[in-house]
Amino acid sequence: MSHDHDHDAITEGEQISEFDVLETAVRELAIEKGLFSADDHRRFLEWAQSIGPTGGSKLVAKAWVDPDFKARLLENGVEACKEVGIDWRDPTGTGTPSDYTYFYVLENTPQIHNVIVCTLCSCYPRPVLGMSPEWYRTPNYRRRLVRWPREVLAEFGLAFPDDVEIRVHDSNQKSRFMVMPMRPEGTEDWSEEQLAAIVTRDTMIGVALPDPQWTAAHAPA
Amino acid sequence: MSDAYDVLLATLPAQARDRDERAAPWEVNAEATNECLSRRGALAHLERRNAEDALGETVYADAPVEARPVLATAHELLARGAITEDELARRMDEVRTRFNAG
Repeated sequence: MSHDHDHDAITEGEQISEFDVLETAVRELAIEKGLFSADDHRRFLEWAQSIGPTGGSKLVAKAWVDPDFKARLLENGVEACKEVGIDWRDPTGTGTPSDYTYFYVLENTPQIHNVIVCTLCSCYPRPVLGMSPEWYRTPNYRRRLVRWPREVLAEFGLAFPDDVEIRVHDSNQKSRFMVMPMRPEGTEDWSEEQLAAIVTRDTMIGVALPDPQWTAAHAPA
Repeated sequence: MSDAYDVLLATLPAQARDRDERAAPWEVNAEATNECLSRRGALAHLERRNAEDALGETVYADAPVEARPVLATAHELLARGAITEDELARRMDEVRTRFNAG
């Protein structure tokens, strides 16, 4: 393919840092010494960036229709995830990456609304929600949510009466959280699959509530 | 075309700061390296993670938080003899030269 359009060379913001250099050197040496292959590395990145919030939606829908599963999920998130095929500790399964140690599912009730954040950086429950949204990683969200949760939630269009307690959960490298929203009225005879469709990413972060009339597949009008 | 508006130009430094908050490509690559090392049995996640906590609070306390994983991984591979300090230094020189030439 020709490359004949005009543009300036990318220079600004493209400085090579010593961390770029270190990361590349470590990776190349590890590959050369047979600790893993270049293909292992590429495949992992491709896969990790392809997962979405489907796993989380399945967890919530299953918990809504199966009280025993819900109890197991709230008791031990890592173990219960295996029932929907997500293994947080086994990267060869459909879970991801990493050194996650604890996964907590936070149940919303009429009196308590949970919301998650990572004040330090951008820790996020990726095995169940995929990659975090851009806004989740902004200083605006990270710094303000813990101090003014009601105001920040209002900016997402969510308002709660004063008697509803807002609980903000700060994620870190070892502990990840996900919100289990309340099942909306009018969905009593829905299938698990129908329910999963309305459990969108944002409802599991805690900045939205499930709406029986809305799925993430809707194009905003 | 009309001139730029000052109110918009004034946003540029803040925009640059926001961009810096996102994970850099080397951070994403380092995470994948850690995953591969653990998956292939060279350095288990929890061992690396514990080392990262200990090293990040002591000998590499001045490093940015986001750099701790790659520092801890390199440190642990050196400490375990999987790579040597000399070969890492040499490779870093080679990489630096290669990147800056491109």
